[in-house]
Amino acid sequence: MSKMKAKMPQIILIVFLFALCLIMLAPFAWIISTSLRLPAESFKLPPQFFPTSFHYQNYVDVFTSFPFARCIFNSLKIAVIVVAANIIITTMAGYAFARIPFKGKNVVFMLILAGMMIPTQAKLIPTYIVMSKLGLVGTHSALILPALISPINIFFVRQFMMTIPSSYEEAAYIDGAGRVKIWWSIFVPMSKSVIVMVSLLSFLASWNDFINPLIFLSKYEMMTLPLGLKTLSGAMNTGSASIVLAGVAVSLVVPTLLYIFGQKHILKSVVMSGLKT
Amino acid sequence: MKAAGGTIEELRRKKARRNNVAGYMFLAPTLILFLGFILIPILLSSVLSFFKYNLITDAKFVGLDNIIKFFNDKGVMNSFGNTFKFLVILVPIHCVLGVVLAFLVYRAKRFQFFFRTAIYFPTVVTTASVALAWGYMFATDTGVINYFVRMLGGSNIPWLTNKTFVYVTIALFSFWKFIGTTFLYYFIGLQNIPDVYYEAAQIDGSSTLHTFIHVTLPLLTPTIFFVMITNIVGVFQIFDEPFLLTNGGPGSATKTVALEIYQTAFKEMNIGYGAMISFVLFLIILVITIVQYVGQNKWVVYDYE
Repeated sequence: MSKMKAKMPQIILIVFLFALCLIMLAPFAWIISTSLRLPAESFKLPPQFFPTSFHYQNYVDVFTSFPFARCIFNSLKIAVIVVAANIIITTMAGYAFARIPFKGKNVVFMLILAGMMIPTQAKLIPTYIVMSKLGLVGTHSALILPALISPINIFFVRQFMMTIPSSYEEAAYIDGAGRVKIWWSIFVPMSKSVIVMVSLLSFLASWNDFINPLIFLSKYEMMTLPLGLKTLSGAMNTGSASIVLAGVAVSLVVPTLLYIFGQKHILKSVVMSGLKT
Repeated sequence: MKAAGGTIEELRRKKARRNNVAGYMFLAPTLILFLGFILIPILLSSVLSFFKYNLITDAKFVGLDNIIKFFNDKGVMNSFGNTFKFLVILVPIHCVLGVVLAFLVYRAKRFQFFFRTAIYFPTVVTTASVALAWGYMFATDTGVINYFVRMLGGSNIPWLTNKTFVYVTIALFSFWKFIGTTFLYYFIGLQNIPDVYYEAAQIDGSSTLHTFIHVTLPLLTPTIFFVMITNIVGVFQIFDEPFLLTNGGPGSATKTVALEIYQTAFKEMNIGYGAMISFVLFLIILVITIVQYVGQNKWVVYDYE
C-alpha cells in the first residue's frame, strides 16, 4: 500500500503528460481524418480524429486543381540546391576559420557571426531591390542565393572542425597534400556528423520558408509548397477544406520523415546553439 | 642563419603570405555572399530610409521626412504596440511553461523519449500549412474547437474575429507550434545539472517544489536567459502566424511590425518608408543582442560549470 502511495505522483505525472501529448498530436490526426472526408462533409460534426471515411479523391483533386506537383518539385529543388551548395561553402569557410592562421581572421569571423542576428525582415526590402536589379525577381535564384550563406552553420562547422586532431593533416602535409586536398579528403569526410546536422537545418528552413517565396514568387508554376497551399486555400471556398487539408497533409510528409530519421541530429543542434552563448 | 632559398625569417613570411592567400581563397564564396546578401542589404536599408522609392521611378531624397512620418504614423505605432502585446503575452508563456514542461518530462521515469518527440514534433512542420489547418479548426461556426466549447456548455467563441480572442488564438498556436524549441533548450539544461545537487537536496529532505525553486531554477539561469532573449528576438519578427491566421485582423488588431513592413513595401510599394521601419526593427534587435552579450556575463550563475 505504501509502495503504491509512493508511486502515485509518477503515475499522475505520466497520465498528465500523455494527455498533453495527445493534445499536441490531435491537430495532425484531425488534419488527416478530415482530408479523407467528402469535401461537402469537411465540417460535418462531430469532428473526427480517426478517419471514418476514406475519400482518397481529395488527394487526387489537390493535384489536378492546382499545379501542386510542380510546387512540391520546386520546394524540393530549392532545398536540395541550397543544401548541396551550403555543404561546399560552409565547410570551406569552417575549415579556413578552424585551421588556417590568416590575417584578420578574428575580425572576419566576428563580422560573419554578427550577420547572424540581422532579422530576415530587416533584409527583406534591400534583398528585393538587389534581386530586382539582378533581374531575378520571380525566379528561384532569388530564394536560393541569399540562403547560401548561413553564419550559424559556419559557426557549427568551425566548432566541430576545431576538435579534429591536427595529426591527420600533418600526415597529409608530409605526403605533399595541399590545402584543398586536405579540406576535401580529410576535413569534409571527418565532419560528416556536423554536415548532416546543418544540412537538416538548412533543408527544413528552406522547405518551411514562407515570407521569401511570398515576396518573390507570383506565378503558380513557380510557387513553393507552403505558398502554393496558401494560394490554393485562398482560391477555394471553405466548402472544400478537405481538399486543402489533403495538400496540408502532403506538405507534412517531408518534415516528418526528416524528423524521424534525423531527430538525433536536430537534438544535437539545439545542444550546440545553446552552448554558443 | 641561412636556409635553402632564404633566411628563416623570409621563409616564415612566405608561409604567412601563403596562409593569408589560402584563408581568403577558402572564404571567398562566403565573403561574396556576405557582402551581397547581408552587409550591402543592411547598409542599403539604412540609406533607403532617407529616400522615397517605389522601384519604378528614380529614388528621391527626402531627408528626414520618413523619420518624421514614422513618429506621427498611427498605423505604424499600432503595429509596434501590437508587437509589444505579443511580446508581453508570448515570451512569458514560452519561458515559464517551457521550463515547467521540461521539468515534468525530466521527472517522468518512463516514456520520456515519446514525450520529448511529441512535444517537439510541431516545431519541425511547415508553419504555413499547419496555420491554414488552424484557421479551419478555429472557425467560429464550423470549427472543431467551438464544437468542444459548445459540448462543454459554452457558446461559440469568435476565435479569429474578435480583437481580444484573436490574441488567445495566436498564443495557443504559438504555444503548440513552438514550445518544443524552448522545451528542448530547458530539457538539455536540466540534463546538464549534476546529480549531486539533487542528491544533496534529497538528503536535506527538500520537497520537489522546493528543490525546483531553490536548486533547479538558479542553476538553469543561463538557459533561462538564453531562451528569453531568443524568444524576444523571435517575437519581434513574428509574421507567419498573424499573416496566415488573421492577416493582421480583425481591422489591424494583430498587425505586427513585420506585417507592416511587408504591406508598406510590397503592397503599397513604399520602399523607402518600409526600409525605414525595418531599419528600426534592426536597431531594436541590435540593442537586445548587446544586452544579451553584456547580460550573460553579469546576471547569470555559471558557477557549477
